[in-house]
Amino acid sequence: MALKEWKETTRDRLFLLLAFLLPALWLVVFGYGLNLDVEDIPFAVLDRDHSEFSRDYLQRFIQSRYFSFRGYADDERTLDRLLTETKIRAAIIVPERFQEQLVAGEPVAVQTLLDGTFPLHTDIAKGYVIAINQAFTEDRLIDFLRRARGLTQEQAGVLVRPLSVEVRYLYNEEVRSTWSMVPALVMFTLMLASPLLTALGVVREKETGSIYNIYSSTVSRAEFLTGKLLPYILISLVNVCVLWLMAVGLFQVPFKGDFLLFLFASMLFVCCTTGIGLLISLLVQTQMAALIITMVVAMIPTILFSGLLVPVASLTRGAKVQAHLFPAMYFTNIVRGSFLKGVGAEVLWIDLLALASFAGALGGLTYHLFTKRPKA
Amino acid sequence: MTAGQRAATWGQRLAALTWKELLQLSRDVPLLLFLIYSFSLSVLVSGAGITMQLTNAELLVQDEDQSPSSRELIHRFQPPYFALAGAISDPRQGLRQLDQGRAMLVLDVPPRFHEALMSGERTAVQLLVDTTNAPQGLSAAAYTVRIAASFGTETALASAGLSGAKASMPLVSSAHRVWFNPTQDERWFQSISHLLRMITLFAVLLPAAALVREKERGTVEQLLVSPLSPFQIMFSKVLAMSGVILLATALALYGVLHPLFHVPMKGSAALFFLLTGLHVFTTAGFGLVAATLAKNQAQVAMMALFAVGPMLLLSGITSPFESMPQWVQAIMTFSPLRYYIDITYGVMLKGAGLDLLWKPVGAMLLLGGTLFGSGMWRFRRQFQ
Repeated sequence: MALKEWKETTRDRLFLLLAFLLPALWLVVFGYGLNLDVEDIPFAVLDRDHSEFSRDYLQRFIQSRYFSFRGYADDERTLDRLLTETKIRAAIIVPERFQEQLVAGEPVAVQTLLDGTFPLHTDIAKGYVIAINQAFTEDRLIDFLRRARGLTQEQAGVLVRPLSVEVRYLYNEEVRSTWSMVPALVMFTLMLASPLLTALGVVREKETGSIYNIYSSTVSRAEFLTGKLLPYILISLVNVCVLWLMAVGLFQVPFKGDFLLFLFASMLFVCCTTGIGLLISLLVQTQMAALIITMVVAMIPTILFSGLLVPVASLTRGAKVQAHLFPAMYFTNIVRGSFLKGVGAEVLWIDLLALASFAGALGGLTYHLFTKRPKA
Repeated sequence: MTAGQRAATWGQRLAALTWKELLQLSRDVPLLLFLIYSFSLSVLVSGAGITMQLTNAELLVQDEDQSPSSRELIHRFQPPYFALAGAISDPRQGLRQLDQGRAMLVLDVPPRFHEALMSGERTAVQLLVDTTNAPQGLSAAAYTVRIAASFGTETALASAGLSGAKASMPLVSSAHRVWFNPTQDERWFQSISHLLRMITLFAVLLPAAALVREKERGTVEQLLVSPLSPFQIMFSKVLAMSGVILLATALALYGVLHPLFHVPMKGSAALFFLLTGLHVFTTAGFGLVAATLAKNQAQVAMMALFAVGPMLLLSGITSPFESMPQWVQAIMTFSPLRYYIDITYGVMLKGAGLDLLWKPVGAMLLLGGTLFGSGMWRFRRQFQ
């Protein structure tokens, strides 16, 4: 059985090529292309003061790598239009008498307009604005305390900023987003490619009617199912190794964990994903439906609920439940754990167990659902 | 036959074919159910369930000072950003919890923290951050620094007897006005982007799969020997599927986005649907080109994945387009979704009309025309 499926799969050259090429290409495209860092926020300024202080203030934004300066505006209407056209995402308006008031020791307010269409980016941009603003304020305060109170630079500095935070980044010491993305993308590509291959393989037989040959043959249910699954599991495992090599070689992501454990977990995961493909293929009649349902089932929860972009802890309760219902989340834990954290089975056993039970449950379910004499 | 009659028959045939596509689709019950699910329940869940802003970052605290100051500082780590996950007394315990993924942050307040603050010395707290998810880790660190800085300045100024003098100090406050989504309701963003994802996914797959199915079954030859032009054959598929997708979009918009998330429609709804139609048409062009290249549905699927995956992740739905590397931006000029995002947010949230949106609309028209044209050309060459 497995041999037959293998032959059938390998006969379709383009398909085979895509089956191996697609995961690798995806990893390259996403690994290099998907930038989650919020940088180069385009912004424009309206300087109503034209003083030394206002220039200093704005210069701090212009020089920051988080912002990308797009020019001065003459009035608020221009800023308005630029924001609506998405030419800029932020605008800073420095009021008149900015320097005068600061020198006199009075508080001033600088107006910042932010594009709220992407709330996460708005929030991060707001954070940058606050940080730059705070640094400027601290300098002004230190200046002021020295003049008004006769403190030394040192004393004024302690008074203004007595508490600092020593931040230590663990696991991904340089906080590169490729390091956190690439391992998760290994999961993502596996999650998409392998169920699709499987689902299409089975439904093809259904559509062309050759499945009736199976129904009438002496092949048992279990033989049929494992025969179907085996080639796809093999393809996926080869892909696992290729992806792993790419992650370590091309993207220089450290692999701190146990490779055997990783391979074992990948095998469990691949069993789950191909199992999902098989399950879908048993439920639908046409390849078109199989294709679309697999894509939606595989792609959407994986993008949203696996921890790829959003940590599972930040999800609301309903979404958290969904996250636990898909194997993707557990495998993300294992992948990130093995690559970045370097933890082993003593920590990851829960996730392993979950994957194993998914694989078992899916196997049982497909076995139960696949009857050799369909009613229709 | 006059030109008018000819046009009428042409139209009738197109209508008949479109009707046939719709019938065929309506018989595929699992697919239809799935379509409805994708545009209703799944939009609901992703809108309500996902926040990418830092939420509930689990924080462990090791308070070695146990003083009023340390408690006050710890108290400032509040939901929605942070969630206190407990106190620890041993650094190794913190590391273990981080390893297991039970917490994201460990904050260590040193002994003599209170004393140092009161006597005007410099002091520091230590923060361990799990950066397996880099953007979130950075965000959490930034919040912590912000909290600590304002806490420090306030306490120091207060202990120096200056707290009441705020009005006479040169403080620059930064007043924010957030436009287009003033409360930064992330449900707006998430539900809209999920809708865009679904529209794009179905727009590529439905027509492509329909065309290849005809190829696989050989019924495409039957269509070709009938008095139908290749344009009619392809266009009827796109027409039928666009209609279905537009209906589904309306369902999502008026069934979920409006009543449940209160997403506004600042611009014209008619314009939005018109441009959604244009987007579906353009994106379908991708699917059709893939369909003419592929021999069977499995191949189409792989090719569609090839185009759709990058399109969904790199066009600027999940992360901002302007921070993508240059080469990605260059490639994504060919992604209709990239323009459609500007259009959707422009019409729905910003209230923009065609006068502001003519650029993306023009780009999309051009792209759609080219794709559809090349799909047609390939289709014709294959069979004639």
